[in-house]
Amino acid sequence: MKSKLKAAFLVLAFSGISTMAVAQRDYQSYEQLTSRLQQLTRRYSTLSSLNTVGKTATGKEVWLLTLGRENAANKPAIVIAAGVEGTQLATTELVMQMAEQMLQAAVLQDSVRELLQSKTFYIFPNLSLDATEQYHEKLRWERVANAQPIDDDRDGRMFEDPFEDLNKDGLITMMRVKNKSGIYRPSKEDPRIMVPADVTKGEKGEYLLYTEGIDNDKDGKWNEDPEGGVVFNRNFSFDYPNFQPGAGEHPMSERETKAFADFMFDAKNVYAVFVFGPANTLTEPLKYNQEMASARIINGLTENDAAVNSTISTLYNTTTQLKDAPRVAPSAGDVLQWAYYHYGRFSFSTPGWWVPKLPPEKESTESIEDAADSTVPEDLNFLRWAQANDFIGTFVPWKPVQHPDFPGQQVEVGGFAPYVKHTPPIHLLEPIADKHFRFFSAFAKKMPNLRIGNVQTEKVEGGHTRITAEVFNQGALPTHSEMGDKTKWVQKVKVILKLSDSQKIISGNKIHLSKALAGGEKFQVSWVVEGNGYIQVEASSPTAGKQSKEVYLR
Amino acid sequence: MKKRIVVAALLASGLLFPRSEQTWAQTPASVFKPAGLPQNPKVQVSWNKYYDYEGITEICAQLAKAHPDLVKLETIGDSYEGRRIWALTITDFKTGDSDRKPAMYLDGYIHANQVQGAEFALYTAWYLAENFSNDQFIKELLQQKTFYILPTINPDARNHLMHPGKTVYSQRNGFIPLDDDGDGLVDEDQPEDINKDGFITLMRRKSSKGKYIVDPKNPLRLIPAYPGQNGEYEVLGYEGFDTDGDGSVNEDPPGQYDPNRDWGWNWQPEYVQSGAYKYPFSLPESRAVKEFVMLHPNIAGAQSYHYNNGIDMIGPGVGESQTSRSGIDQQVYELLVKQADGVIPDFTYMEVYNGLLSTYSGKLNWFQGSRGIFTFSNELLAPYLQVERKLASGADQEIQQEEIDKMLLFQEAYVEWVPFEHPTFGAIEIGGYNKNHLLVHPSFLLAEDAHRNMALTLYQAYQLPQLVVQDLTTKKLPNGLTEVTATIANTRALPTHSAHDQQQSIERPDFISLKDTTVVSGVFLENAAQNKWKEQKGNPARLEVPNIPGMSQIKVRWRVMANKPNLTVEVDSRKGGVISRRF
Repeated sequence: MKSKLKAAFLVLAFSGISTMAVAQRDYQSYEQLTSRLQQLTRRYSTLSSLNTVGKTATGKEVWLLTLGRENAANKPAIVIAAGVEGTQLATTELVMQMAEQMLQAAVLQDSVRELLQSKTFYIFPNLSLDATEQYHEKLRWERVANAQPIDDDRDGRMFEDPFEDLNKDGLITMMRVKNKSGIYRPSKEDPRIMVPADVTKGEKGEYLLYTEGIDNDKDGKWNEDPEGGVVFNRNFSFDYPNFQPGAGEHPMSERETKAFADFMFDAKNVYAVFVFGPANTLTEPLKYNQEMASARIINGLTENDAAVNSTISTLYNTTTQLKDAPRVAPSAGDVLQWAYYHYGRFSFSTPGWWVPKLPPEKESTESIEDAADSTVPEDLNFLRWAQANDFIGTFVPWKPVQHPDFPGQQVEVGGFAPYVKHTPPIHLLEPIADKHFRFFSAFAKKMPNLRIGNVQTEKVEGGHTRITAEVFNQGALPTHSEMGDKTKWVQKVKVILKLSDSQKIISGNKIHLSKALAGGEKFQVSWVVEGNGYIQVEASSPTAGKQSKEVYLR
Repeated sequence: MKKRIVVAALLASGLLFPRSEQTWAQTPASVFKPAGLPQNPKVQVSWNKYYDYEGITEICAQLAKAHPDLVKLETIGDSYEGRRIWALTITDFKTGDSDRKPAMYLDGYIHANQVQGAEFALYTAWYLAENFSNDQFIKELLQQKTFYILPTINPDARNHLMHPGKTVYSQRNGFIPLDDDGDGLVDEDQPEDINKDGFITLMRRKSSKGKYIVDPKNPLRLIPAYPGQNGEYEVLGYEGFDTDGDGSVNEDPPGQYDPNRDWGWNWQPEYVQSGAYKYPFSLPESRAVKEFVMLHPNIAGAQSYHYNNGIDMIGPGVGESQTSRSGIDQQVYELLVKQADGVIPDFTYMEVYNGLLSTYSGKLNWFQGSRGIFTFSNELLAPYLQVERKLASGADQEIQQEEIDKMLLFQEAYVEWVPFEHPTFGAIEIGGYNKNHLLVHPSFLLAEDAHRNMALTLYQAYQLPQLVVQDLTTKKLPNGLTEVTATIANTRALPTHSAHDQQQSIERPDFISLKDTTVVSGVFLENAAQNKWKEQKGNPARLEVPNIPGMSQIKVRWRVMANKPNLTVEVDSRKGGVISRRF
């Protein structure tokens, strides 16, 4: 399949319908994303559609791109949510490229067309639209909060301590202040990087570190109340971080989170949610922990669901072949945990792209001594990788400034440019999008598939007919999560006997409901019916499909 | 967002409130006014019966029309079925800004079958408005404080309960259709009045394995079988069929969620906290109330009228949550509880956590935990109201209800058991309590309990923070500087910030300003015992003080570069109001 795909891309490249991604040089603004989505859904109008689930505080549409538009609401669906943290611009670009690849492939390949005929992909390319816009503003800083005005420090004054661009480079970076009570020192390997001084090894700190700006309200904190806002990925109801910065007044307090959740609760057909965000539960699955899974407030995957996470993790690793992923646990109030614990769906998360790990340089000594597993410290690794990839402008050299809060002291502004760790050169994302496309194709093949088999009839006493049938899950994965059976929001597997007016059930319930059926699992249903003619047995689940079979009663 | 309603339109709509006829016996001249009855009230209401949503709307509209300077009516949003949720603002509108005075929030009705709270809340509104001109206590209270009274925050359930043909059998319901059994259909298997007697009552079946027997004292009543004895009956739930043919009877009734489990403090889903809906404030009614509260940060105290037989008042305390149990907050609650002891005999105080129930996501918990408001739930119909007052202990509530019914209401509450051939269960009987005897006061107990609970609400309102700039002194310093020291007192029991509020920085600090343009420095007394002053470096003219405690005072001090500074001091507190004094 891999070679076939590559061939497809080559054909595309030479046919003049070049991929839209090639034309881009930089990460896109809301306006650019909007027109890209509109063009895409116009071009593939039979396969995709563009909808909005709500508006942000500044009136931006929260876009939902649907692939497999025909009968979308009645097919098992996969949700892909990107841009859940405003700094992670690459996640949006990645899922957009992947969507484009899928649609292009669907035109050429039967297997992909069939994928979109049998499954629906609900793609949210960016859920932090007001935060990510800061990348395109005159002053660039790593904003994660939306545009709903929030008094972050609850002191009754709004936005009273923002960042200031002291060195006038249009970027908010860091300030270091030479000070004997400082706890940072320059790294021995690359003195641009500030690292904590290890007092246990007799090291001495030389610098205090702050974000770039002035303590406008003179409260001894720098830039603690900039413009914004609530963070999308901190405003969900599981493990909600009350009173923490960016969490909002209460869970689902924001236009974006409420709109997202409302869409999801209505979409009964959602089988699994994939978050392209900070947490990583795909290269390394979450483990089963009996105590957590059986607590009053369940806070660990159930045993069966943990097994599914493990299966999917293996699938992810074998299909994507991505290495050295960062280990990032789910976080309080995030969409990932909400989707599982409160929405009842399988949910997974991956950052999608991360900085590849370079091997330690031979002459380097510090990092090997410092870190037991002989990995290169993250910042150092990033700078080396950026250099190797001609990724320029990643670091602002430290330059002295005059600072009113530190009269007579040596203050320098510099450090990593905002966003650089989440915005690799765009051409690097194309192969990664392709890998994820392959993963989702493989995942879809494993999804549950309800089937009715072995329908039999036999005459019983009184001239009635006994009908028996087997309902089984032909897929490799369960019909829905075990957690789904605990919540109110996931439908059960339903078997119904559809009678004509002249038929009557003598024994057995017209409707059978079943909890989650594992891959390959089956159960039997039976009825005794009076009357004759055609009668229909139907098995269905919004997340596992539907089949009906007719039998003739004599 | 707020819609002021046109009262005239309602009055013109023909929904005229059933006014008592002006017979001779009710002309003011012929009435000897007992204590506690307003002198010649402008709005006549009978407080011995229950009103549906339209009736409540009408009383609200009449109060607003009759007392334009004391009562304003607005709608804070619509219910799921499109009924407006009313909020009455009651204060002396001619004195101060109503939305900046310390305010008391009161709601009366959230649970479908706990009807009486709405009338009790309306009684409170009516009593305040009608007594303003003659009662000095009420007059001062309304000059200093504001009441926000929401008689019902679940208007749909009320009409479902009260109107013929609709019956609320679940205790705490809302009415958004919901798929309870996960079959993709909503509300498809509901209880029905299968024997067409006008009531949805219970189904029972003779069974040797049953857990119930007929009460030897009352053949209409079932009681649990005595230990070691076999039962005669099993109870099969509310009347109904297996409508959808899945083998279960009445498994998907209307709604089946609890509006009081939809609040954004320590919210948990249905499988942890039964009654939860989708997420905090996923119901239009609770979201509207939340938005109202957020728009009125002057709300410093809150009460809700609920029903729970035998437990009168519930303060905060939330299982497994981060609510502060600070001693200072506890003292305030204890003061209020002491008062409750005085006005409601046989009063029991319990915290939600260790008393009635350990709940997540409740309204009370949100007011207290998320907004830092001193909040109570008044659980109505205390045992003292039961017939055997000496015996009333709250231990066996059903027996007390039984006694009331037998001795004072002549068994009006029962529907006779009648045989019925049920397609699923076979030979059964249908009967039991009727809906008028669910959790509502009998008529003759209404006014008394309404008044006593109102007294408690007014007492808490009285104890909301009351700030005064008590005194101010000046002292000349060298270099043309003057030192100005002011004392701000809070003369009531409630602080401007609960300890929990301060811990979590919920409400912004109180601002104390000297209206002089030459302020050089500002400090406030952080710890009087240690004489420890705290300096504020930024904007010293407006000091930010974390709290002004109840029955206490704080000191602030400025240095100004003036010989004759402007000695106007302004205190601007969200929950304590705005005051200004010139010396």
